Order: sequence, then structure tokens, then C-alpha cells
Amino acid sequence: MSGAAALAAAPAGRAAAPARARRLTPWGLAAPLGLAYAAFFVAPLLMLVAVSFYADERMTRWGLDQWRRFLLDGFHWKVVADTLLLGLKSVVATTLLGFPFALLYRGASPRWQRVLLFVAVMPLLTSVVVRTFAWIVILGREGVVNQLVLGLGLAAEPLRLLQTELGLVISLTQIEMPLLLLPLLSVMARIDPRLLDASASLGASPWRTLFRVILPLAAPGLAAGCLLVFASSTTAFISQSVIGGGRLVYLPAMIWQQAMVVANWPFAATAAIALLVSVSAVIAVIAYAGRVAAGHAHG
Amino acid sequence: MRMARRRNASEISYGLVMGGLAVLALLILVGPVLVVLATSFTDSRSIRFPPEGFSIRWYALLLDAGRSRQIHRAAGNTLQVALVSAGLATLLGTAAALGLSRLAGRAGRAADAFLMSPLVLPGLAFGLAALMYFTLLGFRPSLELIIAGHLVVVAPFVLRTVGASLSQLDPALLDASLSLGASPLHGFRRITLPLIAPGIAAGAFLAFMASVDNVPVSLFLSSARTDMLPIRMWGMMESTLDVRVAAVSGTLVLAAFLLMLVMERFTGLTRRMRG
Amino acid sequence: MSLAFPRRALLAGAAALAAPLVMPRPLRAQKGGSLVATTYPGIWDDSFREIVAPAALKTKGVEVEFQALFAVDQIAKFAASRGAPPFDAFVLDPGPRITAIERGMFEPFDGKKLTTLPKLPPQLVDQWGAGCAAQVVGIAYNPKKVPKPGGWDDLLKEPWVSRLGLTGFGTTFGTVSLIELAKVFGGSETNVEPALAELKKVLPKIAAVGTPAAMPGLFQQGQCDVMYTNTQTVMALKDRGVDIEFATPRTGAVAFFTTLHIAKGSENVEAAYKYIDTVLSAPVQEALTRPPANLVPVNKDVPLSPNLPMKSLDEMSGFVTHDWAKINPLRGGWIERFNREMAK
Repeated sequence: MSGAAALAAAPAGRAAAPARARRLTPWGLAAPLGLAYAAFFVAPLLMLVAVSFYADERMTRWGLDQWRRFLLDGFHWKVVADTLLLGLKSVVATTLLGFPFALLYRGASPRWQRVLLFVAVMPLLTSVVVRTFAWIVILGREGVVNQLVLGLGLAAEPLRLLQTELGLVISLTQIEMPLLLLPLLSVMARIDPRLLDASASLGASPWRTLFRVILPLAAPGLAAGCLLVFASSTTAFISQSVIGGGRLVYLPAMIWQQAMVVANWPFAATAAIALLVSVSAVIAVIAYAGRVAAGHAHG
Repeated sequence: MRMARRRNASEISYGLVMGGLAVLALLILVGPVLVVLATSFTDSRSIRFPPEGFSIRWYALLLDAGRSRQIHRAAGNTLQVALVSAGLATLLGTAAALGLSRLAGRAGRAADAFLMSPLVLPGLAFGLAALMYFTLLGFRPSLELIIAGHLVVVAPFVLRTVGASLSQLDPALLDASLSLGASPLHGFRRITLPLIAPGIAAGAFLAFMASVDNVPVSLFLSSARTDMLPIRMWGMMESTLDVRVAAVSGTLVLAAFLLMLVMERFTGLTRRMRG
Repeated sequence: MSLAFPRRALLAGAAALAAPLVMPRPLRAQKGGSLVATTYPGIWDDSFREIVAPAALKTKGVEVEFQALFAVDQIAKFAASRGAPPFDAFVLDPGPRITAIERGMFEPFDGKKLTTLPKLPPQLVDQWGAGCAAQVVGIAYNPKKVPKPGGWDDLLKEPWVSRLGLTGFGTTFGTVSLIELAKVFGGSETNVEPALAELKKVLPKIAAVGTPAAMPGLFQQGQCDVMYTNTQTVMALKDRGVDIEFATPRTGAVAFFTTLHIAKGSENVEAAYKYIDTVLSAPVQEALTRPPANLVPVNKDVPLSPNLPMKSLDEMSGFVTHDWAKINPLRGGWIERFNREMAK
């Protein structure tokens, strides 16, 4: 497989002779991206860490003041928890809707698959600027959903959807769905249909086939998608603040206020690192649980 | 007899639940886009829904070389940055995913977590820190810096999607090809690449769109000459509810639709996606 | 090898796209010099490019390039690129202006270098820069949905409170409006607690607590029908067919100035003076007064728009003003308080 190195290394500016390519290890393949990260990501990240250890807004002395201020305040912990929960809710909602969509895609004819793929990427094509406006239109007091609900007589008063967590999760479900679907569809499409036929002909119910055959085979794609959805909904500053509104406080908005309006970079840096660490920790825990579960299944 | 009935019931419940959820997914995916498209054809002077009348004048204004010059310039910059940064991210990310797929154990997982971390760092914090860092090195804001920043931010998308495709790959296939005397390059081209192509395509597309829609990194790394589209659109939306903002999205949807038709004709994207 | 063609085409395309990146850009030399100035995104950006840039080139031989950034973005960007100013001139509102003064972001300003100096109200020019436009903040409402509100405290009463779109201390207009609301209930410039306490009582009724960026969209779609904002926003939205009117609160509208400054370390100081002089000149100010810019001019030779709540600049001395040097140190705390109160 190290032939891949030839393809990967060439654009990085190295003419890779096959003999040399063969020597490239897994680490060698990861190196070009690693180097790009070292140059463009690690250094800024370290600066951010350094900034968080300034004691004062003007960044004149070192100290743990900002960390103390962040960690010793229950409100900040609540905001962290709310942010992580929002991410988890988005993951659950996108999976609940996205997985059946992927099944639909699997079973569709090539022509319909084309249409469904186009539908799946649609949210990415509408800029975040106007997408948030569309959600105001749909969820608003005089919005599409409320017109429908009032018109059908399902409620006497307009429902409050906009600027609630429910509304935010609904809109994030749309916005993040492509991140779930693209990895999932590319993996689902590879599942051998004969396995499903075999499962059915052995008398398994469709539910059993879903949980025992499709889900395990689609797991890598589903996991990748969930990770992307979780990471990007916890950091989706614009959607969170425009659709969520001021009653819902999440960490990215706090970071924005502190960095930009108050010009308190040390505190903003502290909050940014706290977000990075807590989101990564949740991902690691889920990945660990996944490995343990997989170990049980195989053992 | 009873068994058949139970199976029948479970088939019905399966169809109802899965079908219902899939339809809901379709509605949620398409609804907002339809709202945007409808709004972009309004005859009113500001973005509003339901639209008033039907008119393509906002598209005409958007395409007007004189009156939308700044938008065109910003769109050009944005496309250039997205193509180069997503292109680089696809190449480097695919290579890295190939490497990581062969690394087991704690070190591999740590490397994987590290390479995913830009996705988790708030863009605003990264943008500010990157500007501090590049200034320290003596660089001024420019398109090159935006590309460098975007490369880091969009690479995780490629890494994840290609990684997911690779985990399905049976190593025995490749071993078989090698043991039959095929060169590694040949093995990669004929076996690995076709199998992970859908993953690469999906990752490249996600990376491209993430770059096109990026606000925070662009905000800090752009200069007066490297105006970027989403930032310009924010200004238009916030101060005047400019309908051209919706027309930009309408144009993108149309472009993607045409691109999909073209790709279908020439490379059979979905055919490969199905395998 | 079906992939060979697209890959080669892709590489060629990438190379073609990368070419302009590495090619040196031609430098244009103007006799009056050139500079990069900031402007606010949206209307300011459009009008400064259309009106100020050609005027500066024509009358002073100065080439101006604009970078559209909100005031807080300018401060952050300047601070992050310490030692290498990313632009030569700022345009700021009072809060960010104080931050910039405190952190040494301006070159000292000499008003005598402006030919327009005699035409400007004296308090507008100081050692840090010059005011280029006035902003008048009051209440905006939808006349088709709610009656005209009379004062800040009306915002917390029916029928307005259940149609109110609230914003926090994130913007200048939000901050001054909340201060004025606090004053009605016994607060002051340095004490906004009464406003927060009153808001808390009616919080469940308030139609929307939004980010400033979302307010025009929320207002347009009927999510809220009352909000506080400046006259410029009201006129811009009205020009676009939105049902919106400006109301002056009975305790008076709030006025403050948008100011121009020269960035510390700028290598184009002389060009920057000429640019600022251009913005303040009567023809440019007059052009900026007209729609869609709708700026409130500061040059005494320029008549005010009939849509404004005053007939002349002198009348503005009767408007409410604030001391941002006192407000700024407290603002961080207020923002946190607002977050906590709103998040329940």
C-alpha cells in the first residue's frame, strides 16, 4: 500500500522514486499533514495556551488568574455542560434522521441515488448567513411551522420554537446532516447486498437485520459522521447565537464576547482551550466505549 | 403461521418508522433550501418570506459586473482559497489517513486525535492566534495565509471520511495483489484507490464547502485586497437585508446541480459510490 | 485509468489558480500616497468605496483601499498584529475607541492638519482623531403592529414588551440603550443593575433576545416589532421596504460620534490625514447624508436629512451622551451579568 506514498508525496514537492516510496512508513504518510499542522496549527495553539496564562486583560503579568476565574465559577461549568449536551443532542437527532435516510439511499435506483446525494449536500450549498435567516422564517412566530400548526388548529397560540434549544437542535440537524451523511453514505454503499439477503432468507426480521448486520457494517461511517457532527455543532458559533438567541449561552459565544467586545484575550483563550479539551475528552470517552463494546462483540 | 405474522408486523413497523424518519430527514434537509431559493426570487427590496412577486432582478444585479464588483472579487478570492486549500487538504489528508489506518494502538489514536483537533478549536480563537503567530514571523495578511489557515481547518473532514472508507478495506485484498507480484503503486491504484474513492470525494467536497463558508479564520487573515465572500455577505445581510445574499446561495445550488450532472456524465461519481 | 484525466485537469487547474498568488502585484504610485482604511461592513463599506475613495483620489491624489471590519474586529485584528498595523486608519464607535486609546493603538492626531477643521464642532477633534458622523440611538418600532412607544420604560410594558427584541451589551447602541433604561429605574451610567432587575421580571414575555446581527432579520419576519437601534439602521431598513419607524424616547435620544483615527505605526500618516480630511469635506459629507448611507453629518456646511429627529447639529447638544471611559471598565462585568440573567 506504500505506493500511496508516491501519490501523496509528489504534491508535497518530493519526486518519490518507487524504491524510496516503499520505505515510507505509516508515520511517513502522515508526516506531510503533520508538518503542515506543525507549521500552521501547533504554533498558534501554543500561543493560545500561553495567552491563557496571562493574569490580566492587558497581558502584562503571568498567573493562573483566568484559569481560576473560569474553573471556580459554577456558571462556566454549566455553560460547558450545556455546550457538550447540545453537541450530543445534535448527534442523536442527526443520527435518528440520517440513518434512515442512508437506508433509503441504499435501496434507491442509481438515478434516485443521484437525487438523494444532491439533497444530502444541499445544506452545505446555502451559506450560513442566509441559512440562519431561513430558520427564522421556518421556526419564527409567524413562521412556516406556526402557520401550519395554527392553520390545522393544533394550537391556539404560536409555538415558541425560535430561540429555544429545541429549535436550535432542529436547525443544527439540518446544518450538520451532510457531515453525517457523506461519510455514512460512502460506507453504506459498500455493504454487500448479499449479506442482507442472506440475513432475510435466514428469517431475521428487518429490525434484526438492521441492528445485527447493517449497523455493525456501517459503524465506521456512522462513527466518523457522528464525530464530525459533534465537533462542529459544539463550535457552531453563528447558528448557536442567531438561532439560539441570548437566552441560551454556549461557550463559543462567550469566547467571542470576551475576545472581541471586552478585549480580554487571556479569558477568551482559557475558555477556548477549555472547549477544545472538554470536546476532545467526550470524543475520547465515546471512542473508548466503542472499542470496549467492539471487544465484547468479538470476544 | 404465527411466526409469519410476527415477521409481517415487524416489517410494517420497520417500514413505518424508517420511512417516516427518512421523509422527515428529507423535509428538514430541503425545507430551508427551498425557503432560500424562494426568497431569492422575490420582487421586494429586502429579503423576506413569503416573497413578494417573482423576479430574477436580484440575480441580474448579482451578476452585474459593475454594481456587484466587490462581491465578484470576494467570490474569486473565496473560490481560489477553497480550491487550493481543499485540494491540498485532500492530498495530505488522504495520505495521512492511509498512514493512520496502519497504525494501531495508543500512538495511532493519539496522532488521530491530534489531527482532528482543529475541528474542535473555536474558529475565532484559532483565527486570532494564527494572526498573532504569522505577524510574529513577519507575514502580513494575504491569500496565502488564508489558504494555510483553511488547510488546517478543513483537513479533518478529509481525514475522517477517508479513514472511514479505509476501515472497510480488507487488507487481505492488497496482500493478495502484492503476493501476486503487483507493485505497491499498482496495488494502490487498482485496489485501494477505487475502494476509497467515494470517501475521498466526500471528504474533498466537505473540505471545499467548509472553506467557502468559513468566517472566523478568513476574518483575521484577510487584508483589504483579500476580501472574502461570507464576510461580505454578513455585512450585506446585517445592514440592508440585501436579497443578493439569497441569490448567492441560489447560484451555488444551481452550480452544484450542474456540477453533479457533469460529474455524472464524465466520471460516474455515484456509480463509483455504489461500487 | 479513468482517474488520470480528472486528476491531471485538477492539477492544471490548481496551478492556474495558484499562479496569481505568487505573481508580484503591481504597485501603483499616487502622488498623494496610498493607504488602507477600515470601514464598517454593509452600507458604510459600499458608500465609502463609492463616494470617499474617488473623492480622495480626485481632490487629494490619495488612493484609499477599504477593509470592511466591525469596530471590535478592528481592535482585535490590530492587537493580534502588533508592530505591523494591518491598516492605516480606524473607524470606531466610542467603546472600542477607548479600548484603543488605553492600549496605545493610535498615532497622536493634530487637528490643525485638517483643512476642514473650521467647519467642525470643536469637541469633535481631539488628540486621538476626528469624528466623522454622529449616531443617534432610540427606539425602532413597527407602526403596523404596535403603537409608538413614548419612553425606554414602555419597552417593559404591554403591548411592547411581548414584541420586544432585546440585545445585550455587545454593541455600542445596545449598551447605551440599557444604560438609559437603567436610568429610568434609578440607575446610572455606571449602574445598570436596575435595568437587569426589571428585565428579569418580564423576561418570559420578551419576544426575542438576539444577537445584534440577527435583529434586522428577526424584525423583518415579525419575530419582534420593537427594538433599540440607531437612525441609520432604521432608515436603511425603511429604504428596503421594511415597516419600521424611529421614536425618540421622552428622556431624549442618545447621541455619540463615530470617529476616525490613524493607526499606531502607520507608514502612511500624511495620506491618512488627507483621507480623513476628505471624509470630513462638505461635498463628501453631503453625499454620505443621502440614502442609502444616511449618515448624520458633522460638517456644519451640510444640511441634515429631514428624516432625522433634529434640525441641526447644535440641537444634538440636548441629546444624552455618555462617558465611555467610565463605561468601558465595567462593560465586561455587565456582559457576564447579562449572560447569567438571560440564561436563567
